[in-house]
Amino acid sequence: MAVVTVVALGFASLGQNLNEGLQAGLLWVALLFGMSGALARGFLVEEETGTADLLRVGATPSSVYAGKWLFHGSLFLVLSAIILPLHALFLKPGSVSALGLGLMWLAGGLSLVSALTFCGALVARTAVKGALLAALAFPVLLPMMLMAVSGTKTAFEGESVWGALQGLCGYGLMLTAGGPWIFERFWRE
Amino acid sequence: MPHRLVCEGLGKRFGDRWVFRGLSVEVSEGQSLVVSGANGSGKSTFLRVVAGLTPVTEGEIRLQGVGDSERVLREHAMSKQVGWSATDGALYSALSALEHLRWWAAIHGALLTETELRAHLARFELDSRADDWTRTFSTGMRQRLRLAMATLCQPRLLILDEPTAGMDEAGKQLLTRVIDEQRTRGITLLATNQPDEYALGDFRLVMGA
Repeated sequence: MAVVTVVALGFASLGQNLNEGLQAGLLWVALLFGMSGALARGFLVEEETGTADLLRVGATPSSVYAGKWLFHGSLFLVLSAIILPLHALFLKPGSVSALGLGLMWLAGGLSLVSALTFCGALVARTAVKGALLAALAFPVLLPMMLMAVSGTKTAFEGESVWGALQGLCGYGLMLTAGGPWIFERFWRE
Repeated sequence: MPHRLVCEGLGKRFGDRWVFRGLSVEVSEGQSLVVSGANGSGKSTFLRVVAGLTPVTEGEIRLQGVGDSERVLREHAMSKQVGWSATDGALYSALSALEHLRWWAAIHGALLTETELRAHLARFELDSRADDWTRTFSTGMRQRLRLAMATLCQPRLLILDEPTAGMDEAGKQLLTRVIDEQRTRGITLLATNQPDEYALGDFRLVMGA
């Protein structure tokens, strides 16, 4: 999904010069699309196949949460390895601050992985998964997406990303630290 | 100190409906309790509550004799003492039988060699299919694998939820052997509605009665 998004928009914009904001938005939307597919492979499939009960019997909630976080993190790395070169190939951003872009990718990735792990964990045990996921993901993902796009746009402009980076790191760390704590409270409910 | 499972005044409610209430039972080491009852009477829910998979609405569950003091089953430390076999599901379709045992041993911190794991599978007559994905297994073979996982770490409390559903006669003999072995190290809770399996328990709890 993420690859299709980047390639399709890349071809659609051939010969045009997309501004930095659009380029940054496209990058994070593609990463979000790619990662959202992982939600079904995370907690949801464990609940649907009954293997979540094995985990409840055999593992601590924090280790289960950490395992899913690592799975999402690994997927983000793989996805980035595909999306970032394609994005550079098709959209040819101009005077990029490589350090700024790298920092935004790192902080944004941390926030995205933590947000999706948190949302997947919360939704997996409910009866109305799709509707709840949409309702829950919107307020959780929107702030990080706004900060990530804003910071990446600044990096594409070759300027300092410090402001967006601070916000994104704070948000990502809050979700990363708070997620397991909240998860422990409803994992066995 | 011998182990003893003590359930006092257990009650479980989903919404406004009480599945069971005021349930008290004690099972000592070496004993097995058969749980039977009509569909929807709460057999599986009772077992899930005892296994710590579902919180109890009221009452208390203790497994005495684990460590120095009584522990509430929902605590994770307790879970290492519990072997659980579900009626269905609870297997990863893209893992082999051997990989299931390896994973199960790993998360319980049990240091078992591949030879030991294969030998354990052989006890459940799964050694010839040890490396096959469980998605290719029949219902009876899946049940055997669940039993193999539940007994792998020699739990103090073995909880079996209708383990012979879909099993052949040899599989049912296997269950008898598993419960006999469990008598030497702990307690068994067996949910079943098969009259010929009632004799596997020292006493029977009829849910909904």
